[in-house]
Amino acid sequence: MLKPRFPLVVVLAIILLALVLPFLLPWTYDQIDWDAVRAPAFSGAHIFGTDEIGRDRLARLAAGTRITLMVAIAAALVSLVVGIAWGATAGWIGGRVDEAMMRIVDGLYALPFMFIVILLMVVFGRSILLVFVGIGLVEWLTMARVVRGQVMALKQRPFILAAEAAGTPSRIIMLRHILPNIAGVALAYLMLTVPQVVMVESFLSFLGLGVQEPLTSLGILVKEGADDMDMTPLGLVLPGGLLVMLLVCLTIEGERLRDRFS
Amino acid sequence: MSLYEIRNMAVSIAGQRLVEDVSLTVEAGQCTALIGASGSGKSLTCLTPFGLTRGVAMGSMVLDGIDLGSADAARIREARCRLTGFIFQQPLTALTPHLTVGAQLQEATMQAGAARPSVRELVRQLERVGLSRADERLDQFPHRLSGGERQRVMIAAAIAHNPKLLVADEPTSALDASLRAEIMGLLYQLRIEQGLGLLLVSHDLASVEGHADQLVVMDRGRVVERGPASKVLSDAREDYTRRLIAATPRLHEPAPKLSRPGEILLETRGLGVTFDRPGWRRGKIQALADASLIIRQRESLAIVGGSGSGKSTIGRGIAGIGPVTEGEILWRGSMLPERRKRSLDMRRLIQPVFQDPVASLDPQWRVQDIVVEPLRNLRPGLTTAEYQEMARVALTDVDLAEEFLARWPTSLSGGQAQRVAIARAIIASPQLLVLDEATSALDPLVGAGILELLLRLQSENGISLLFITHNIAAARRLCHRIAVMEDGRIVETGTMREVIGHPAHPATQKLISAS
Repeated sequence: MLKPRFPLVVVLAIILLALVLPFLLPWTYDQIDWDAVRAPAFSGAHIFGTDEIGRDRLARLAAGTRITLMVAIAAALVSLVVGIAWGATAGWIGGRVDEAMMRIVDGLYALPFMFIVILLMVVFGRSILLVFVGIGLVEWLTMARVVRGQVMALKQRPFILAAEAAGTPSRIIMLRHILPNIAGVALAYLMLTVPQVVMVESFLSFLGLGVQEPLTSLGILVKEGADDMDMTPLGLVLPGGLLVMLLVCLTIEGERLRDRFS
Repeated sequence: MSLYEIRNMAVSIAGQRLVEDVSLTVEAGQCTALIGASGSGKSLTCLTPFGLTRGVAMGSMVLDGIDLGSADAARIREARCRLTGFIFQQPLTALTPHLTVGAQLQEATMQAGAARPSVRELVRQLERVGLSRADERLDQFPHRLSGGERQRVMIAAAIAHNPKLLVADEPTSALDASLRAEIMGLLYQLRIEQGLGLLLVSHDLASVEGHADQLVVMDRGRVVERGPASKVLSDAREDYTRRLIAATPRLHEPAPKLSRPGEILLETRGLGVTFDRPGWRRGKIQALADASLIIRQRESLAIVGGSGSGKSTIGRGIAGIGPVTEGEILWRGSMLPERRKRSLDMRRLIQPVFQDPVASLDPQWRVQDIVVEPLRNLRPGLTTAEYQEMARVALTDVDLAEEFLARWPTSLSGGQAQRVAIARAIIASPQLLVLDEATSALDPLVGAGILELLLRLQSENGISLLFITHNIAAARRLCHRIAVMEDGRIVETGTMREVIGHPAHPATQKLISAS
């Protein structure tokens, strides 16, 4: 397992930079440098220049990556917890309960997701919390299906029957036999959920439905860059390239994990 | 000249020698059987010369005048298509699920460059392998066929292009005893009629006896012994072969020495199990009906039957890990409640052991925790040191060293894993073990070891055994009495000697003649 794992290294490097950069740069993400509005790259202290109101691009990039990853990881964790709880319950009980629970999942799948998010935004106003709720609503569904399938397969395995014959209570069987055995698969899908959430969050932000200014995310940065791309293409290329790199690397790692466990 | 001759062949995968110095011959119209435990390299030996494994074969392998050892990939492929047919163990996975039987046969016929066969020709091919209603079968998909029918289709596809050599890798291991006899009979007939040479690979000596002309015994990548089958069987030179022959259960070997049964321990009266059909569909499936049997103390009862005969269902019902919908189970004369209502002490008395030893151990647990699991529930409150000591004793009982306590299940062989499973079953001193095909998935030598272990446990600890199996000869080594099942019903019960000597029911006769 010591062979070079390029995608993982890239992801870790991006995360590290996003965390450390704010302490190294003399600028914060919302600080305006009146002397250097629309500064080109490598001019003075601004490595990647500044945007149209004079905020340092690199600082904003780091802040955006941080927000995007934070939303992604939090939403993925929420989907993990809800998905495992729902899927494991359905799979373990089985029968009619399972049918009913999985029909609910199917129903939620069928809802037009964007429509709901826009409704939520209109009713409650824009906030990071709502982005979580909106994304979490969708992402746990796949996890629940995956976990349910795994639990149903495990339930038939002789070692579960042996545990039952040994008098082990259902609760303990669930906690100590079933959960450890689905952990690998769940982890792999968690890794695959993160890039999906990054994607959804960026998409929402690009439409102006994500986090609010002056907070920023990769999606907002791409949008701002796109508005201004004939003047300063760097503003689009930087966040766009970073987003693509992050998505590709996370997906490759996630699929590698999934292949290993299934 | 022989049809197929291998001389001093070695097979290596990724630089590692796995098979060495193998020589064998297959004559036209005759059968050469390759026998060995799992991992002995027998599949590598027969598949690698045709480029069907990742391995590289070195040495001389001559098929009908073509040296496969020096031929290039295209020539090997041509020889494979034109001259050889292959049959594999799993008939369902070896047939393509989305193609009809007819389409697969057509493809198989045309692979050697023959013209597109007519429907009549395809029907004739199916009739050749003894499949009834052949014209209907052509339009069916593999999942519609039973295991035996699928294997017949496999054989039909393997011989569709009139090959000279048929390579059969465990062709009957996944089948019932009676189906096995039918398939072997079919292969025999094809050999005689068409002069096919047959290279038969099996881990089970019993399944090739009476069919093989030549016998090649392999162990750990080497040929241990080879020669005419009758000579090897009656007068084996090598110790390994002798042990293998002794380990293979036979119906007419001398009766084993068994313990003397005592009082009635468990009795079932009119036991029945009906399932609702899965999903929202209506209807019921009767898996078991009106099953009544008795097990005494220190007694072994064999439940024998084909697949789907309900023998596992009754075992699970008794062990409390499967449903029981009708009838009652009496334990020492008093009612045994339904499975979830059994007290912890009741559960302790009956413990199951399963067919697939590796799957019956949680891969995330150490052997020590696995063995101790029943104790933690049934006798809570002991200290860790006490648990550990009891686990050590239980492992000693099943002839495993103490160092196994710290191992993970994935690092165990099949036989070791089954011993761990038995240790887990006996640690809480049960009085009845329900063994569901406990030796069927194991190699003959390992399986014989488990049978001996069970006999010893019975004589030392006075445990009763419910031995569920499809192999009547293996049951005879262990059991006092036998119950034969068919279609969810017990059709015949009696002592081992009575039933084997004078089988009354057709199902019993079929099982006995097949083994």
